[in-house]
Amino acid sequence: MRDLHLPLNQTQRVRLEAALHELQSLAPAAASAASVTVADNIPVNQEDNILKGHGTSDHDGEVVATLCGVVERVNKLVYVRTLRARYKPEVGDIIVGRVIEIAPKRWRLEINFSQDAVLMLSSMNLPDGIQRRRTAVDELNMRSIFEENDVVCAEVRGFQHDGSLHLQARSQKYGKLQRGQLLTVPAYLVKRRKQHFHHLEQYDVDLILGCNGFVWVGQHVLVRENTESKEDKQKLSDEVDTFTPIETRKHICRLANAVRVLSALGFTLTIELIIQTAEASLSSNVEINDMLGAEFYVQTAEREARRRADLLRKKNGAR
Amino acid sequence: METLKRKAPEVPAARANSPTKAPRDDDAPAAPAASEPVACVHDVSYPEGYDASTSSRIVAGGGEGVAPAKTFPFKLDPFQSEAIRCLDNGESVMVSAHTSAGKTVVALYVIAMSLRNQQRVIYTSPIKALSNQKYREFKEEFSDVGLMTGDVTIEPNASCLVMTTEIWRSMQYKGSEVMREVAWVIFDEVHYMRDRERGVVWEESIVMAPKNSRFVFLSATVPNAKEFADWVAKVHKQPCHIVYTDYRPTPLQHYVFPSGGDGLYLVVDENGKFREDSFQKSLNVLAPASGGDKKRENGKRQKGISAGKPGEESDIFKMVKMIIQRQYDPVILFSFSKRECEFLAMQMAKMDLNEDDEKVNIETIFWSAMDLLSDDDKKLPQVSNMLPLLKRGIGVHHSGLLPILKEVIEILFQEGLIKCLFATETFSIGLNMPAKTVVFTNVRKFDGDRFRWLSSGEYIQMSGRAGRRGIDDRGICILMVDDKMEPSTAKMMLKGGADSLNSAFHLSYNMLLNQMRCEDGDPEKLLRHSFYQFQADRALPDLEKRVRELEIERNSMVIDEEESLKDYYDLLEQYKTLKKDVRDIVLSPKYVLPFLQSGRLVRVQFSTDEQPTFSIDENVTWGIIINFEKVKTQAEDRKPEDCDYAVDILTRCSVNKDISGKKTMKIIPLKDRGEPVVISLPLSQIDGLSSVRMYIPKDLLPVEARENTLRKVEEVISRFAKDGIPLLDPEEDMEVKSSSYRKATRRIEALESLFEKHDVRNSPHIQQRLKIFHAKKEISAKIKSIKKTMRASTALAFKDELKARKRVLRRLGYITSEDVVEVKGKVACEISSADELTLTELMFSGALKDATVEQMVALLSCFVWQEKLQDAPKPRDELDLLFYQLQETARRVANLQLECKIQIDVETFVNSFRPDVMEAVYSWARGSKFHQIMEMTQVFEGSLIRAIRRLEEVLQQLILASKSIGETELEAKLEEAVSKIKRDIVFAASLYL
Repeated sequence: MRDLHLPLNQTQRVRLEAALHELQSLAPAAASAASVTVADNIPVNQEDNILKGHGTSDHDGEVVATLCGVVERVNKLVYVRTLRARYKPEVGDIIVGRVIEIAPKRWRLEINFSQDAVLMLSSMNLPDGIQRRRTAVDELNMRSIFEENDVVCAEVRGFQHDGSLHLQARSQKYGKLQRGQLLTVPAYLVKRRKQHFHHLEQYDVDLILGCNGFVWVGQHVLVRENTESKEDKQKLSDEVDTFTPIETRKHICRLANAVRVLSALGFTLTIELIIQTAEASLSSNVEINDMLGAEFYVQTAEREARRRADLLRKKNGAR
Repeated sequence: METLKRKAPEVPAARANSPTKAPRDDDAPAAPAASEPVACVHDVSYPEGYDASTSSRIVAGGGEGVAPAKTFPFKLDPFQSEAIRCLDNGESVMVSAHTSAGKTVVALYVIAMSLRNQQRVIYTSPIKALSNQKYREFKEEFSDVGLMTGDVTIEPNASCLVMTTEIWRSMQYKGSEVMREVAWVIFDEVHYMRDRERGVVWEESIVMAPKNSRFVFLSATVPNAKEFADWVAKVHKQPCHIVYTDYRPTPLQHYVFPSGGDGLYLVVDENGKFREDSFQKSLNVLAPASGGDKKRENGKRQKGISAGKPGEESDIFKMVKMIIQRQYDPVILFSFSKRECEFLAMQMAKMDLNEDDEKVNIETIFWSAMDLLSDDDKKLPQVSNMLPLLKRGIGVHHSGLLPILKEVIEILFQEGLIKCLFATETFSIGLNMPAKTVVFTNVRKFDGDRFRWLSSGEYIQMSGRAGRRGIDDRGICILMVDDKMEPSTAKMMLKGGADSLNSAFHLSYNMLLNQMRCEDGDPEKLLRHSFYQFQADRALPDLEKRVRELEIERNSMVIDEEESLKDYYDLLEQYKTLKKDVRDIVLSPKYVLPFLQSGRLVRVQFSTDEQPTFSIDENVTWGIIINFEKVKTQAEDRKPEDCDYAVDILTRCSVNKDISGKKTMKIIPLKDRGEPVVISLPLSQIDGLSSVRMYIPKDLLPVEARENTLRKVEEVISRFAKDGIPLLDPEEDMEVKSSSYRKATRRIEALESLFEKHDVRNSPHIQQRLKIFHAKKEISAKIKSIKKTMRASTALAFKDELKARKRVLRRLGYITSEDVVEVKGKVACEISSADELTLTELMFSGALKDATVEQMVALLSCFVWQEKLQDAPKPRDELDLLFYQLQETARRVANLQLECKIQIDVETFVNSFRPDVMEAVYSWARGSKFHQIMEMTQVFEGSLIRAIRRLEEVLQQLILASKSIGETELEAKLEEAVSKIKRDIVFAASLYL
């Protein structure tokens, strides 16, 4: 939220501050207590055989943090969960990336990690859907699948022995993303969930929350399992497809702006919150371009503060 | 599911029965001549809504007019060419045929076709050794072949990959690029799917397989091949062909060898005809032995073929001698335990079946293979003891052998240098290693918890080793039958059909976590697509029909005065259960043991054919106690009071021999006609003890002695006829002092008075009406139970268990409430060769961090060692402490599972971790020689090697796991552990590579 510069008027400033203050007071206190910065000692019982996980190191018999973040403990495992660091991939994450280079048999993707990710030609389904080995011809035709600057969605397959990060596209729903917007938000705002692909039927829009903080909002595409549809049919439908209806475009923009607002305010991006924000903008007749205006920011912050307070009250009430 | 049946042109109209109905014995062609067309049945399963006319698209790229991918130098059998035609059309096929029929041809064709089309092909088999052998076979044929097993990886980038099914499954979870390149997947020995422990791997692999690939399933003959194909068609939305044949290239003759006898009896000839007369004759040879030995056998466990009386040649020796004389060699003799296998081979000590030049040959082959080993390992007793045996043409093959020895023996056998091979069941699967003759030295098999008869399916599989194609005109199969075997069992085994392929699906945590980890993975989807669910769904209409029928039947029964009758019936039931309670108390071993002296008269219940009676009278007769003994059970350390006892009682029985010669004995009243027989009864069948004891003659073997004794019993009974034989009074004589006993007797008295007063009691036809009422009740109960199974199968199978298991994972912090896999879950994902929960918990408790490398390795050995050793020495203290830690962790995990409503026996679970080889593995990790660690334990060499190899697998998985949590120290430690154990003979390369 540091980089939030809004042309606020006096009332708006007061309201925003009040909302943010309330949000702060609602945050659980425990989280801040366990936070560490680099070189901080992490207190552990030396008797135990603790397992030192990510972001920790052994220094003269003391466990020292090598990252800024929050200390997490799982049984005897101690590790540091970072807050604003770059994205750190884990096996099975869904990510969105941008192709930056085509190399022999592979694409290199920028995914907001400390190194570029590799998507092997063999980790992609061929456009014809046939199961076969990749040939030199396929390699020459790689640009027909992805070109530089294409936006691609994939799954983290794992680190190879040489330390490079490999991606894969398990099914047809992964691959090139077109006709939409790519938004870059801090990676920590996207939490790992069961679902990262969302099809918002009411808007005819696909929303992909990449774990690496790249969010894709685009026109919905049908996932075709049977890729053997006839060639000429393909061409015909291509022409129809290239035209994205204005309604859908508006929806895409509205959802994208909702994501922008939320991430600027530093709220964790969940599909529910994004839809809520977009709906709120619709119901209060906020134009798409006005969503990035100061008033909507303040409203969103206030709404979120109210929601969390309600949630907390309900939780306490239940006890 | 629509089916379209196309018959192979070769199929004569008369044989056009569906595969489900083709019994084994009508298959073998009437004439052994190879020119005769051989039947095979071809059928297709189409997925629902599949338009057969558009199926002409060719995925494989082959097709009509294109030259076949591979031609064979011999004429293909109909089933082979039929299967290949399906392959050319690019459609999946399931080939179900006997082991020796030549299924490999189909696999070879697929590989050739895929290589031609630049596609990848994967061959999976259930066993590592089989994978090795197949790798060698394919490598000779096509050069672009790779191998991936838990032990070795060779050329993983080759176009044809041979692997174990487990590796294929984990590749699918991890999303290997192979997934996108594989056009054909060959599942060999797919009938392994019914394996209780590992079968589920096949289901997972088949369900998760890439959508656009095609499959080849090679299986032994299974009657429900169609069902399997339907399932594949449904799950993968593609047609799946079935090619089924019962054809054996060399017809079989089945003989019976009665134990103690000296001849063979042909019972099933090469045309598959069962010869009743000769079967009976063989049983008659057995008969005299059975009477005299009867008593000796009671309660005794099967001990294999005993060595025979001293001075006399054992059966097995006679058998082998006869086989050699008649030139029926080479012969494979199957038995079902490693020890028995070795024991039998030792009895062959006097035999020498090889010429001198063959001996030289054997020695050269043997030592050139053993050159792989270090000098120390060459001196291992198993190695040095084996050679003299092999040189005489006798071999042993079982899983306890060093892998390298096993392979040498396989090679020698294939070369024809071993004439007589003693093998366990494992020899019956895999590579084509036929013999002229197969002998079953034993027909009982231990299947994990008990001894059972060999199923006909297993018999078919093993007898498939008999008869070498092109060499023998018929194979010979000899069944050694002893009197413990019921003739009907033998007949069932010889004539029965193949086992059907049933799902052995079950859930595991590793499976759930892996499914949950990927975005589109959903454990429920896997369950829905499982073969188990498919079979359950399929059974549903039948069950519904059955319920309807039963309901109609029940409603058709009309009884007058049903209400009061019901009342009376309930009273009777109550009375009976109370009576039983009383008897159980009085006859508990605690009270009754001192009174089971021989000669005491006892009242026993006799069995009647009719329904249970409905009066207070009971079916009882009298007998005389001869002896009693403890029934041996698994747990030997129980107190005498808790054991089960069997009492040998002399009484009158009717002995029936049905047509097959099966003997059934029924206890009948003394007055009836029947034979006096000593039978062994459980305590529960005794009704009461009398206070009368009689003298019994010492020798009861002659029938007259028994008859006389029984006559005396009758006399005694008639003497007491007036007021019955005095019974032992429970309270005074037997000192039964239990409040529940007294309570029960009081209630019985009360009930008896109620009977007196009941108004239905004297109504006419009470017995019949009660009988009808009883039948009606039984039908209702049956309906209820069927409805229950129906409910269970309409709902998603395993749904409750899935819920419970997810609960466990949540409680242990492996997944969040939204099913997102957490740190611990990611660790458990990696562990597939050991109990994932316990090992993960152990890792997170820091136990692995604490121990030294050697201790850690020893601790992990508990996860991979499953055999239970008697009197294994306790490991040293430091290891024992670690083991205690493991047990505590396991107990915690088990208790938690129990709390989450998973059916688990905590102690069994805890005891499934065995510390027996800790010491041996510990010193192996410290660098001991193999012969040194062999001296420390009583286990088979091969078993220990397998355990250590599996241990290495676990270590590799742990390395991945610790990488994923960023614990570099532990990772380094595990790497060190791997380097310490991975050496010498334990990891000696396979000879096939």
